[in-house]
Amino acid sequence: MTDEKKKKGGFFHAVKEFVYGAAVHDSARFALKSRANMEHLFILITVGDMLGAPVLPPYYSLNLLPYLVPQIPTWKRRMLREKDLTDALA
Amino acid sequence: MNSVLVLIIAFAVAIVGYYRYARYIDRKVMMSDPKRTTPANMYMDGVEFMPTSKNVLFGYQFKSIAGAGPIIGPIIAIQWGWAPALLWILLGSFFIGWVQDYSSAMIAMRNEGASLGGLSYRLISPRARLILLSFMYFYLLLIAGAFGNVVVSTATGLKSAPMAWLFLTLAGLLAGQMIYKWKKDIVLTTVVTVLIAMSGIYLGTLAPSDSILGTALANNRVLWAIVALVFCYFAAVLPIWRLALPMNYVASYIVFLGLLFGIIGILLSRPDFTLPAVTDFSIKIGPIWPIMFVTIACGAISGWHSIVSSSGTARQLENEIDARPVGAGVMFVEMILAVFALIIAGTIYASPTEYGAAIAKGPGVVFAAGVAKLLNVLGLPLDLGRSYGSVMMIVLAITIMQLVIRFMRVATSEILGDVSPVFKNLHFGTIVASLLTAALVLTGWWQYLWVLFGGANQLMASLALMLATIWLISEGRATAWIFYPMIFMFVTTVAALLYTSYSLLSKVFSGAVQGEALIGNTLMGVVAVFLVIAALVLAWEGQKAFARFRSLRAGSSVA
Repeated sequence: MTDEKKKKGGFFHAVKEFVYGAAVHDSARFALKSRANMEHLFILITVGDMLGAPVLPPYYSLNLLPYLVPQIPTWKRRMLREKDLTDALA
Repeated sequence: MNSVLVLIIAFAVAIVGYYRYARYIDRKVMMSDPKRTTPANMYMDGVEFMPTSKNVLFGYQFKSIAGAGPIIGPIIAIQWGWAPALLWILLGSFFIGWVQDYSSAMIAMRNEGASLGGLSYRLISPRARLILLSFMYFYLLLIAGAFGNVVVSTATGLKSAPMAWLFLTLAGLLAGQMIYKWKKDIVLTTVVTVLIAMSGIYLGTLAPSDSILGTALANNRVLWAIVALVFCYFAAVLPIWRLALPMNYVASYIVFLGLLFGIIGILLSRPDFTLPAVTDFSIKIGPIWPIMFVTIACGAISGWHSIVSSSGTARQLENEIDARPVGAGVMFVEMILAVFALIIAGTIYASPTEYGAAIAKGPGVVFAAGVAKLLNVLGLPLDLGRSYGSVMMIVLAITIMQLVIRFMRVATSEILGDVSPVFKNLHFGTIVASLLTAALVLTGWWQYLWVLFGGANQLMASLALMLATIWLISEGRATAWIFYPMIFMFVTTVAALLYTSYSLLSKVFSGAVQGEALIGNTLMGVVAVFLVIAALVLAWEGQKAFARFRSLRAGSSVA
């Protein structure tokens, strides 16, 4: 591909990304946040004692633990991070 | 003077500002480092912290900050003359606007993606965060009131607007259903729903509101205020994917196409300014300083941008060097949008008298008339162009308004939720926010309301600049490029709010106003005074933080 074609492709790609950013990105982020809210709520009620919440992990929660381990650092950070109105405005 | 020359000057200012000034600050002062890990890469949770392409963020930032602000402000401010309005748009954006947007993103990024509340807690004091949140509630109320007024005046002033608005709402509902429930292809959804919205714009010209409801109802401000607030209630209470997000999605195409063809219309018609370059130092709403400087808010500088930059954009920047195009670049684009609005106001009327008659009906009417004239250059009939412009205006205002009422509900829950559980109720919080907004919309004179909104918005900006200054002091970096703009904005906005509250409350205490105006003046005056007090307390806390970090730096340099 010539340099000019690459540049044109790059420009159209940039325009496409701009339109995506302006029109859709917000919705995509909202969908991701909604999914994360539900997943993290589930983790909270199953292994919430990791944060000091008095939830005794029942047997099946311990069974789920290997599958939850990859998400636990993210979950902990998000649960414990202080939030206020200015976070909601994002 | 020819408007194309003004557009060229604006582009020149944007290019110099972005490629010279912003680049210098980015490289020499902030020292952006492409190798430094950003919070988006450090945390990468696929939820809030997500490295995102700068082009996507450019569109996201632009959509988040470009509302009715950069359009309404210049349309009102041209009453002082187009020259001072233009100078403020250009110089404000060059020296202050991009500085605020960019520094908010950078400082948040360097502090693990902390929001403004978190930054004020960390850098100033815990009390500062609480005061900031209280400030923001009233700031949001003024946004809702000012934008609500725009929606109501557009719906009553342009009879084709309500039908177009109805069809846009239906298109939004359908888009949400098609995307999230029926899982239809996005291209199909876009084509279908944008066509529905466009057909509503056309039908608005065939079936204007006075032909359906009668003249009395079509001109009834109370009716349209209720319609707007019921709309916002549902938009705030329903799941966001049901109405708010998909309607914003459909509306974004209408707005962008309108802006794009509008600018092409200017380049083809090359209109001259017909309104005077300079009028009086002082007009009905107040003197040029400080009032004009807060009337044009978003087109020069806006606190709303700092909220978007810190809480949204900073958590998605994949590289530090992307902060300049996204933070500074988008602000310069918004500056161009404000110049576009100024050109509309300054060129479409034959005389100041004609402009005066139009602005009395509301700034939305002026904007719609301007869009109609520019699209007519490209062959669109004037009445269709007016309908298009009116729905653009309503969309730009109502998309922010519904978001703001949603956030006011969250703020009510956060601030008062511990006082009584009723404040945590979704519907109660939304109704309280809606009633307060209705009170402002129906009782406040819209020009004062706009000035108060501008003042609060830019006071928010000066607080964001104060946070950035404190961080720079803590890091031992140059501060003049932020400190002096902060001082200017703080003094100007406090002066504007005090002047306006004095104008409002003096009429209340002297008994010069009765009935609705009495309620409106009192409410607006009290809110303005509260904002000033909150800002002064924050400034006091801020200067203690300055002193604290300065002495820390002095102590560490001695050691």
